[in-house]
Amino acid sequence: MSDNQSARLATLVALAEKQPRLGRTAVMKLCYFLQTLRKVPLGYRFTLYSYGPFDASVLSDLSSAEALGGVESKTVLYSGGYGYEISPAGRSRSVKSLGSGFIKKHASDLQWVVEQFGNFGSADLELLSTIVYVDRESAQAKARRTPDELAEKVHEVKPHFNQPYVRQKVAQLQELKMLRSLRATSGNR
Amino acid sequence: MTTDPHRKYEIRCPVHGFIQIDDWERQIIDQPAFQRLRRIRQLAFTDLLYPAAMHTRFEHSLGVMHVASLVYDSIVQKSREVLEEHLTYTKEGLDRDRRLVRLAALLHDVGHAPFSHSSEDLFPDRERGGKKFAHDDYSAAIIRTELRSAIEDHPLNENTGFDADNVAALIEGSAAAKRALFWRDLINGQMDADRMDYLIRDSHHIGVQYGKFDLSRLISSVIAIAPDRENSQPRPGIEEGGWHAAEALVLARYFMFTQVYFHKTRVAYDIHLREAMKTLLPGGRFPKPTGTELKEFLKWDDWRVLGLIGKGKAGEHGRRIIERNHYREIHHTPEVCSDKDLRELKAKRISLGNLVVAEEPAKKSWYKTGNTDIPVLSKVRRPQVQPLSRYSMAIEGMKENNQVLLYVDGADSEEAEKRIRKGRQQK
Repeated sequence: MSDNQSARLATLVALAEKQPRLGRTAVMKLCYFLQTLRKVPLGYRFTLYSYGPFDASVLSDLSSAEALGGVESKTVLYSGGYGYEISPAGRSRSVKSLGSGFIKKHASDLQWVVEQFGNFGSADLELLSTIVYVDRESAQAKARRTPDELAEKVHEVKPHFNQPYVRQKVAQLQELKMLRSLRATSGNR
Repeated sequence: MTTDPHRKYEIRCPVHGFIQIDDWERQIIDQPAFQRLRRIRQLAFTDLLYPAAMHTRFEHSLGVMHVASLVYDSIVQKSREVLEEHLTYTKEGLDRDRRLVRLAALLHDVGHAPFSHSSEDLFPDRERGGKKFAHDDYSAAIIRTELRSAIEDHPLNENTGFDADNVAALIEGSAAAKRALFWRDLINGQMDADRMDYLIRDSHHIGVQYGKFDLSRLISSVIAIAPDRENSQPRPGIEEGGWHAAEALVLARYFMFTQVYFHKTRVAYDIHLREAMKTLLPGGRFPKPTGTELKEFLKWDDWRVLGLIGKGKAGEHGRRIIERNHYREIHHTPEVCSDKDLRELKAKRISLGNLVVAEEPAKKSWYKTGNTDIPVLSKVRRPQVQPLSRYSMAIEGMKENNQVLLYVDGADSEEAEKRIRKGRQQK
């Protein structure tokens, strides 16, 4: 196992310890936020799907962490659908120790991401992470957008959300200074 | 030369019969960047153990376009209401995105390096983030440059108004694909058209049965599943009646990887090819997918590599390929390694010392739960939507493969076996 993978498995266990009944969507998006917003070098390659930024390697790592006894995952059924709950398992300490240096170095980032995003439901996490993804794509292309323009771009990807709700989430992320591509609205320039 | 923009063409396919294309698609297919796929084998040097594995990315790409269209049509036919209600599709929008999905499927592999996946370790690193470029990055770059005019300038594009970025965005996963990202799972997902085609095509050409499953049953079962509490958007899934066909797809992939793609001799030739390519490529790396470097990349195909190997320019590993004198596997761990297996591997590595010439991981996850767990819609079960991993005990029990293979030079096999025996006795 490479050092990078050890660090990733340890991170997944640490997230499961910090956030009880962590869902799989939450694991994916928290890793995305850690890597994108806090520059934690997890080495994932997220690309955009309709359900937000995604890298199948996160799920592979989750399977590895599960196989090593670091976490356990159960499917939860509820009326109309299903979800997953991930929690620490018997060998969580041992799996975490594989990347103990990394976890120590990024302890404040892990704490931060759980505090900021740990309590959101999957739908909101998908929307928030999509906003950040679209924002970063815009910033990389050196495109500057007003908050409403950014919300419009996100709405094109996720038309099932209503626009005022998307704008509200953009404003929340803006308030927390997590967006890079924003410029002031034209009247304020 | 001007052609009738409405003319249809048919291409014979050994798997799907006739594949129909129109003039627009034909003009894209005729571009040198796409024709290059005729010179890129689907399975690298797999023919050195399965002699008929000589098919190319060209026929696979046509097959993926064909299958993606069938899946698209099935979803539209069975789930139009979901698409209209949650993604605001109209008939025109669906016609337009059908085109988009066809083009993305056709072009998803246009960025492959010579011998497909086998030489991808030699892709250069990105400037940011440290990760290597992937063949999707090359595909997207080729679409935006070499194929832009063929995509954008055809008269039929008056009806859709695509630009090359729309197609590239669906392949690479970017916001420019807009709501069409819903269809990205058909290009790159657990039940994508790529997988549906290559498993059957590779089995057909190689002469094995491992990769076969009921394609028509699967296609006719694919639907769009409406959002629920955990999923804010519609997602592709299957009707309950098709879950065994979906299970068979997952199992077919497992069998193909364990029996063909990770076959010890094939893995050995991947090592030789990679090392030979390192010798041939300036700096031991492929050019980047940007600017003039992309043009240089496109000059690399199997023919060029084989020519150089034939001329003796690929060093020891080139010679080994010509002489079919590959490294020999001396040890492999179980497909799912325990701590004990890893300790045993370490002990063998120590016993073998400098005789080990390569250590190759055969890492693969057969099925992933989470967003990509294939949802199954039932008319009778409650809850109505449950993941495939709940339906299939076989899939539920599948664990990630993390096998490791150790290789030695054929000339050292005897000595290597002796050392392993000695190590065992000392234990």
